Amino acid sequence: MSNPCLTATGLHKTYKMGKADIEVLRGVSLHAEPGEYLVITGASGSGKSTLLSILGALDTPDKGTVTFQGRNVFQMPSAARNAYRNGLVGFVFQFYHLFPELNVLENVLMPRMVMYGAVKWWSVRRQAKRDGAELLERVGLDHRAKHRPKELSGGERQRVAVARALINRPALLLADEPTGNLDESIGAGILSLLARLNDDGQTIVMVTHDPKVAAYAHRSLVLKEGVIHESSEPGSERPVPAPVGTEVVR
Amino acid sequence: MYKWFLAWRYLNTKLIALFGIASVMFCVAMVLVVLSVMGGFLDTIRSRSRGLHSEIVLEGGTLQGFSYYEEFGAYLAKELPDVVKLHTPVIYTYGIFRVPATTFTKPARVLGIRLKDYVRVNDFQKGLYYDRYYPGTTHLGPQALPVAGVSLFGDVRLPEDLERANDLWREGEMDPEAIASFDEQPFEKAPYPYVTPVMPSERVYSAHVGEPTYKEPLHDGVIVGCDLIHYRRSDGHFDRQIARGADVALTLMPLNPSGNPTGEPPVRLPLRYSDDSHTGIFEIDSLCVYVDFDMLQHRLAMDPQPLVSGGFTRLRTNQLLIGLWEGVDLNDACDRIRVAWRDFYASLGPEVSEADRRALGFVEVYTWEDLQRPFISAVEKEKVLVTLLFAMISSVAIVLVGCIFYMIVEKKTREIGILKAIGASGRGVTSLFIAYAGAVGVFGAVLGLILGSAFVWNINAIQDYLASWNPSLRVWSPDVYSFDRIPEIVKSADAFWVGSVAIVSSMVGSLIPAIIAGRVWPVQALRYE
Repeated sequence: MSNPCLTATGLHKTYKMGKADIEVLRGVSLHAEPGEYLVITGASGSGKSTLLSILGALDTPDKGTVTFQGRNVFQMPSAARNAYRNGLVGFVFQFYHLFPELNVLENVLMPRMVMYGAVKWWSVRRQAKRDGAELLERVGLDHRAKHRPKELSGGERQRVAVARALINRPALLLADEPTGNLDESIGAGILSLLARLNDDGQTIVMVTHDPKVAAYAHRSLVLKEGVIHESSEPGSERPVPAPVGTEVVR
Repeated sequence: MYKWFLAWRYLNTKLIALFGIASVMFCVAMVLVVLSVMGGFLDTIRSRSRGLHSEIVLEGGTLQGFSYYEEFGAYLAKELPDVVKLHTPVIYTYGIFRVPATTFTKPARVLGIRLKDYVRVNDFQKGLYYDRYYPGTTHLGPQALPVAGVSLFGDVRLPEDLERANDLWREGEMDPEAIASFDEQPFEKAPYPYVTPVMPSERVYSAHVGEPTYKEPLHDGVIVGCDLIHYRRSDGHFDRQIARGADVALTLMPLNPSGNPTGEPPVRLPLRYSDDSHTGIFEIDSLCVYVDFDMLQHRLAMDPQPLVSGGFTRLRTNQLLIGLWEGVDLNDACDRIRVAWRDFYASLGPEVSEADRRALGFVEVYTWEDLQRPFISAVEKEKVLVTLLFAMISSVAIVLVGCIFYMIVEKKTREIGILKAIGASGRGVTSLFIAYAGAVGVFGAVLGLILGSAFVWNINAIQDYLASWNPSLRVWSPDVYSFDRIPEIVKSADAFWVGSVAIVSSMVGSLIPAIIAGRVWPVQALRYE
């Protein structure tokens, strides 16, 4: 195994549901290599999203460690952990989670605004806008920069979410059921987009309940009853990514 | 950067923020109006009080007055020439004021003044009506009735000296609007012009067909408080009830040096209405009449009177108004004059009668502030109390802002989760909502200051308008509040503090919801759509 980008070791997580304790993760361990496209599949309620939240430091494990580029994420001070979420990982959610008051470009720029204070932003804003416009062009939405999320289709919203996740050039993209709220054809377009990003070197860890998505990945894992059960080597029959924008079907 | 950006964007797009802005706006406007009116009220009292008196007042404290005032004036001139500029005696008593041509009878506070000196120690001259448009023609000495001449063609002409005085005013008046206003309304009709009128002349004089003239007999002049004799319209202007020079009368009760009635029948003084005075303080303008000091002193038997035991009583007055040189410290001057009075009193020999000595024992030296302190401090307390009361009522806005922001935070839980997912700290999210509340406060405060200022600046016009529909809507009664007009000045310092407190209050109101927002756990916030 080469030098991994992300390593999770022995992750445990238990939720309280009334008086009952539900053990969602029971010693999950995994790693992601730089440039790898890793898919974790599992049934609904298997703990996929919990695992992804812990990998992205949105949640904390009861036990176990997450190491990113050699640093234990949960031993970082909170400011460093915020910086980790802001600059080192990018999130793509099932429900897009865009800011309805902001237009597409502003949504994409938001992580960059979080990165800088008001004074510093003044000096970097032109570059940030250029980066945002470039990303929108890359996801095929440059013509939608001034539109509000409510004016976009589901697939377009998800592409905006992908662009937002990439604005700070994160080493790792975490995607939580990115196609779970989309039609199959539109979902395929998003998967193509992620595959192209991966082709360009972007490390991706995706969780999904759809085993077909695994076809896009180099490697896939199955999460069942809180444990990683099986894995496969990088896929050889990965679909050819479609050109940007062809998945937009209304 | 995201805090300011999102705060601004939420402010622009969230309708609910308008409720917060509106609540802050109305509270700011309300407190500003209260503070401005009460503050204006207090300032008016201060400035008018200053204008009513001289800087220092030697107060007799009794109606029968005190003697040796001329000697003390000479003593001051000798001992404190660098402090005391001039001094003038004032007699005050009470009487019955009548307009014989009508059934008009009212109680009056009668002040005996030496007009030329009196106007040099206070602002009395500024409030004289005829003296403004016909400068130099108001006096309290014997005078005849001025009668305008009206030709058959309706040309009105006053006696030559009055016309000349009016020309002088025109030449010296710097405000062209004042001249235009004078010329536009030359005929304010007085119901009792005394001389059978063809038409009462400009600024209300008696008139007849023929040459302008003066009609005798001569009577001593009297200046009458404007609210005592004229009718105030709802717009604040006066319907002048009698023409200049009309016969009026005063009935007075003389007292001896011991304060008892002299036993003589009441004194009836025929007088001529020479001018009217507008100090702006209703209690004064509705009660006071001003006559010549020496005449009143004589009529009240406060000039030397023969004693049964032989000899004469001494001249008496009720007050000695003392004007100071410019730049002299008021309190320091007062202390020095107090010492001078004590020295003067101690220097009086055994020739001083028992009654005089007793009256002199009541004499006190006051600054104008001392004289008005009970009233001013009462109003100061009232101002603080009313402002506090309204500030407490306005604190409801803090609660309201808190409720509004709690609703906003509840509604924005998912977006707070997103912010945290993209790296925003809990403190950053908290400060975002505080900044948002600050923006609500700034807008509310600015709008409130505009609304409150516009209201204060037009408060009299608003009241006049309401009163023109229904007189019972006139909330500011000059009888109650002393002044005929509601103060209309907004101080920039008041506006600054009210606005600042509103902004801070708005931020304080949002504190709890903002802290709740900062503690939102992103996983919980993002779990469900």
